[in-house]
Amino acid sequence: MKKYNTPLIDELEKGPWPSFVTEMKKAAKTNEMSNDALGHLEKCYSTKIGYWKHGGIVGVLGYGGGVIGRYSEIGEEFPGVAHFHTVRLNQPSGFFYTSKALREICDIWDKYGSGLTNVHGSTGDLVLLGTKTDALEAIFAEYSSRGWDLGSSGSALRTPSCCVGPGRCEWTNYDTLGLTYALTQEFQDEMHRPTFSYKFKIKSSGCACDCVAALARADMSIIGTWKGDIKIDQAEVKNYAKTMDINKEIVNMCPTQCMDYDGKELKINNKECSRCMHCITRMTKALKPSGERGATICIGSKAPIVVGSLLSWVIIPFIKVEPPYTELKDLIRKIWDWWDENAKPRERIGEVIEMKGMRSFLEAIGVKPMPQQIKEPRKDPFMFYTEDDIAAYKAKEAEEKKTGKYRF
Amino acid sequence: MEVAELQDKIYAFCLAAKGKKKLKEKDIIKGVSAELSLEPDEVKKAMRAMIDVGRLMYSYGGGASSVEIPSEEYLREKGLIK
Repeated sequence: MKKYNTPLIDELEKGPWPSFVTEMKKAAKTNEMSNDALGHLEKCYSTKIGYWKHGGIVGVLGYGGGVIGRYSEIGEEFPGVAHFHTVRLNQPSGFFYTSKALREICDIWDKYGSGLTNVHGSTGDLVLLGTKTDALEAIFAEYSSRGWDLGSSGSALRTPSCCVGPGRCEWTNYDTLGLTYALTQEFQDEMHRPTFSYKFKIKSSGCACDCVAALARADMSIIGTWKGDIKIDQAEVKNYAKTMDINKEIVNMCPTQCMDYDGKELKINNKECSRCMHCITRMTKALKPSGERGATICIGSKAPIVVGSLLSWVIIPFIKVEPPYTELKDLIRKIWDWWDENAKPRERIGEVIEMKGMRSFLEAIGVKPMPQQIKEPRKDPFMFYTEDDIAAYKAKEAEEKKTGKYRF
Repeated sequence: MEVAELQDKIYAFCLAAKGKKKLKEKDIIKGVSAELSLEPDEVKKAMRAMIDVGRLMYSYGGGASSVEIPSEEYLREKGLIK
């Protein structure tokens, strides 16, 4: 195996943090593809050129996603990475694996690919880095025979992803794991047969801590919330007061300023609370949500491509999230129908809403305008006049002129 | 219309667009169903059956997916021709 001199990427091994270069070097000892990937990376750093080509027609028969074609322009110099395709595996909800399952994944990958993985990619999938075109069908056959499936890519529903939810977290307001599994099963066709104008991501977080960053990354963010008051254990508040400055760290950092602490008692004006979770995460033993649990549905976040990056926008302030999730599934289908009708190629739903307006979007999906949907203070995106409104105004104006009596 | 005949029409539709326009699934479904006055679902099923056997294939470029007629190289790679 050729030995590459890698002074530039060696720099990335210095410092206190784990280094991907170290891991690549370990894999390179036994794998030609990983070895060439190291040499290739060093060349990219030294010339400041990325030699990767992306996309194309790689994939497994019948599937429109799950494999992302990567080729090197300098494949003759580094034959191990001439083809270096990425394979996405659909991750389990909440990223729970047994060590046996991980070993199984890695054994198959060592057999057909570079041995390098990315657990997990920002999509949520378990990402297997670097294989050749002629190995793809065999890889798919081996993984699927053991119950694994490919993840999604391209203009499709991307593999739904969620936080650990009730598996490990006391703050979750709904079963994120169950919902993600149900949506994955329900929308298999939309995941593996790309039919949309562009990608569509669904991410589910059990509370506003939003551990999967759904609010910033997903076209549809499902964020857990609750309807009742925050229950306060004043004795525990006193305990926290011994080790923290409650006014400085909690009260003054409340985004809606709905809290008050006089040094003895903590009070919360729950009507003003936006359920941001800040106080609950800092005073876990003292504060707990109560009442009905469910989720807020937000729409439209994305990274910048056609227009700038967008954050999600509330469309449904509260929805019960319980099996069989029929209401949510129906809503998703309505959203896709409207998007499909209105989007140009490579337009995400947030961009289409920006262009067509939230009003027409809400009308199409059958959701009534609500105060919680207001995106920014002093802006009302739902103010509009129908033809009937205009006719009524004209009639009123004509009557006022005729009678000389003005009605305000 | 027989499925085989419909699939020939779909193939011809894709062939006409080859090299000119990247067709999305929905372009084919809308175009062929309008041309032949058929239900979109019927066209969708016929088209997907073609994809399953390699008569058509999914392609990908610039972040967007399309459906096109496979190259000989692709068919050889999938073992569909020698």
